[in-house]
Amino acid sequence: MEFNEMSFREQLGKQILFFDGGMGTLLQERGLKTGEIPETWNILHPEIIRQIHQEYLLAGSNMISANTFGVNAFKCKNLAYTVEELVTAGIGLVKEAIQEVRTGERSESKQPMYAALDIGSLGKLLKPLGEITFDEAYKTFQEIVIAGDRAGADLILIETVSDAYEMKAAVLAAKENSDLPVVVTMIFDESGKLLTGGDVASVTAMLEGLGVDAIGFNCGLGPDQMKNLLPQLTACCSLPIVINPNAGLPVVVNGQTVFNVAPEEFAQSVRTLVEMGASVVGGCCGTTPEHIRRVVELCHNMEIKAVTDKKLTVVSSYNHAVYFTRKPLIIGERINPTGKSKFKQALRDHDMEYIYKEGLAQEENGAHILDVNVGLPEIDEPQLMEEAVTGIQAILDLPLQIDTSDTAAMERGLRYYNGKPMLNSVNGKKESMESVFPIAKKYGALLVCLCLDEDGIPETVEGRLKVAEKIVKTAAEYGIPKKNLVMDALVLTISTGQDNANITLETMRRIRYEMGIHTVLGVSNISFGLPERSRINTAFFTMAMNNGLSAGIVNPSSEPMMSAYYSFNALIGEDEQCMAYIANASQTTDKPSAAPSQKNSVFTLDEAIIKGLTESASEATVKLLEENMDALSIINEKLIPALDVVGKGFEEKKMFLPQLLMSADAAKASFEAIKTTLSKQGKSSESKGKIVIATVKGDIHDIGKNIVKTLLENYGFDMIDLGKDVAPELILKTVQEHQVKLVGLSALMTTTVVNMEETIKLLREHHAGCRVMVGGAVLTQEYADMIGADFYSKDAMGSVRYANELYEQGEL
Amino acid sequence: MEIIRNDVKNRVNLREINRYLGYGAKAPDDSIGQMITEVLDELLCVVTPRNLYKLYNSSIVGKQVMLEASGSTIIFESQNLADNLSQCSKVALIAATLGLEADKLLQKYEILNMTKAAIAQACGAACIEAYCNILQEQICASLSENGRKLYLRPRFSPGYGDLPLQYQRTIFQALDCTKHIGLTLTDSLLMYPTKSVTAFIGLTANPQSCHIDKCAQCDNTECEFREL
Repeated sequence: MEFNEMSFREQLGKQILFFDGGMGTLLQERGLKTGEIPETWNILHPEIIRQIHQEYLLAGSNMISANTFGVNAFKCKNLAYTVEELVTAGIGLVKEAIQEVRTGERSESKQPMYAALDIGSLGKLLKPLGEITFDEAYKTFQEIVIAGDRAGADLILIETVSDAYEMKAAVLAAKENSDLPVVVTMIFDESGKLLTGGDVASVTAMLEGLGVDAIGFNCGLGPDQMKNLLPQLTACCSLPIVINPNAGLPVVVNGQTVFNVAPEEFAQSVRTLVEMGASVVGGCCGTTPEHIRRVVELCHNMEIKAVTDKKLTVVSSYNHAVYFTRKPLIIGERINPTGKSKFKQALRDHDMEYIYKEGLAQEENGAHILDVNVGLPEIDEPQLMEEAVTGIQAILDLPLQIDTSDTAAMERGLRYYNGKPMLNSVNGKKESMESVFPIAKKYGALLVCLCLDEDGIPETVEGRLKVAEKIVKTAAEYGIPKKNLVMDALVLTISTGQDNANITLETMRRIRYEMGIHTVLGVSNISFGLPERSRINTAFFTMAMNNGLSAGIVNPSSEPMMSAYYSFNALIGEDEQCMAYIANASQTTDKPSAAPSQKNSVFTLDEAIIKGLTESASEATVKLLEENMDALSIINEKLIPALDVVGKGFEEKKMFLPQLLMSADAAKASFEAIKTTLSKQGKSSESKGKIVIATVKGDIHDIGKNIVKTLLENYGFDMIDLGKDVAPELILKTVQEHQVKLVGLSALMTTTVVNMEETIKLLREHHAGCRVMVGGAVLTQEYADMIGADFYSKDAMGSVRYANELYEQGEL
Repeated sequence: MEIIRNDVKNRVNLREINRYLGYGAKAPDDSIGQMITEVLDELLCVVTPRNLYKLYNSSIVGKQVMLEASGSTIIFESQNLADNLSQCSKVALIAATLGLEADKLLQKYEILNMTKAAIAQACGAACIEAYCNILQEQICASLSENGRKLYLRPRFSPGYGDLPLQYQRTIFQALDCTKHIGLTLTDSLLMYPTKSVTAFIGLTANPQSCHIDKCAQCDNTECEFREL
């Protein structure tokens, strides 16, 4: 590095810098065969790789990407070389090339030169929707980073990634295992979307939060298409911008993909990109040293646009960003056990579905962000926080506010969150600030700050503002800017102090308009201890919004609150043509007309179940309970016989799967009604026995298993569902722990039936006496016999019959 | 994206959805039919179908199928594939997916409503088939323009007949599916997103080709979903 007067970090954003261009096509021209791994050439043909690097350096590139793009443990599995060997050789070749160009005779090149560790996508999709865990992805990247850092890389380039979550794993691996600058370039399509759905704003928010050094685009598009996309990035990005386009869009000629934007045209377009705000430019697929030479010639004297802080207060989910602006936001408060006995029970029972349904309902009702609080003294909160955050993100798109006082749970929630999260909360106490600020800074969270400290909640406006100022000042010492803080002026009920609302509102107004910081409030606390609380809440919510409230933590299914919200937006001119207001108004006035027809249900319980009518089933059950029919009789004399009718119809092909499932849903609603009554009487419903159910290791299709689970639940079995892609060892462990006598396994493909066989073997060896029933698309009776299963179920009803038989024989 | 969604919507085979749901040739009653329409609409609102294909010159020796493009050749060993492509000089390798949004919607339904989950599963399968049908006809038409008319052979995928699923790895490498359309392959050779297809499509000058009656070609006469 002795030749470089300044480090990469010092140069970045101060002057224009140039990356190199494509590698793949150059290697193919030099004899790389289809299917051959390019990175093996770092060891097999080092002279060729070094020469390509030199050509780019002589063309004027500052940063040379090592030939390490495809190196990772997944792709190296069947290679003769380790990740470390290929990375070390790759970085070594760049450094040798730099050395030779500096000392070589034909060089006039005296530009700063840096070796970039090039990290590409792993080619695997991450859970919860994919195959590998976040931690596995992290470890895979970690191995590359450690090797690259050790080999002497000057910076890390994470490129051509099209999944925000994978990017997060890579950036964390880079930052936790080296001090090198990190540049991230993503592959967007022409509409500005990643293949996994993220947009420019959401990913930029996340990456800035994680503290990368520069952000940009590469691959996928040519320079002209990137011109259309760049304004989206310059609008929200406060970091230097990197643009490495392809030489145009791919064109297929004679079955071969080519890029045909020539060097001159390419360079002209890149020049425009620099004028628009890019400060680091280079090329990707199809670009050559000649392309880069023309780019450097045309652009090296250009002044770059100054990098400015956009001062945006923002959170993001995997696919969109939510900005704090003049128009207030709704933060859904319902995922929180405080004061909700049913929610507490769901947490204790590990009933994640209950939590997910709360989330989906709030999304439906118009929340912009969801608060997630899963704290109960007796549960493993960090573990549950991780599960809740990843589980919610698998099914809904809203950004989340991780709400906990447990710093371990905070860290887990923030780490496994996909996007830029919100964190609730820190306060002015020294201990709180010392423990929360480092975590918030590391994960780039938008942090909720409570205006209280060691002396409690100040009674005056001045007192609360003083705490707020202390928090802002201390946050800055940790490198957290004002834009990443939202202040909670705190709400105390007016039933204990008549000036409480005034103090909160005035504090908030001054925080928002004098300190220039966005605000948040748990609105409904204002009415604690008063009757008809929604009246006070609604009035206060409107007053708060008018006094600078940026985001209200409220219940989005409360009609008065949401009416106040939509009315407010319409009144302040933040609702074009009052469209949102009208939509909300027509929705709320529609509701009563729909209700009566359902209420006046005339169906008996068995009719309702056979017809698959959920609400009627629930009402009929309640009616039977009111008529003093006992729970067990309802189940045995009404519910189960009705399910049997449907089951029989299904087996005789007179009824079909959707009907079977609708009946199952109706029966479930009936069960819920019974359970509610029983728990009021302090009783619980009887279980016919525990059954473990799982889709085997390697298999990801679980709808069949879920159908079976639903039906068995309705017949009164206690189901332990281990999900999909479940290791044999976990199945055995669960079976042993719960002393289970029946296991249901599902597999869809021939490639995963082997894992089914392995699971059965393991169960036989270590837990004799446990029966195994199997099902799934490729299975047949013969196949089931071959792998040693006790029962083959050709459809969902088969498993019900089998489990019932075992139960009747007293074997469950 | 809007245009693609509409095309898929117009091409989706509703009978196929019924068949996947176990109705065979029967039609579901009105309330289920209504639900199918709703789910299909919601699915088509969220999906982001993407595809990728590459054309090869094909030659066959015994049960070896050799696909050549720009100087390099990939070899597949399968009698059934060789039979399928026997009269084809050109073969397209295709990969197509409805995208992750389809999987997200399926997961959501599994929590909210199992009936809709099963229906969404069936609709997803029918949609990806429709999307592949559109794609293969586009490929066929674009090749037919350059002179003589070509006809499509039935799509053939790894796992059919004696063509091992292991060839998924070969196809993924040849097409670079992950980078271009976000399609990934697990160690157990399953695809994410789940509503996805990889296939060989033979193109032949022989007009006897049929590309619809896939079931008639299949040995698995016990299959629940066999179209009769």
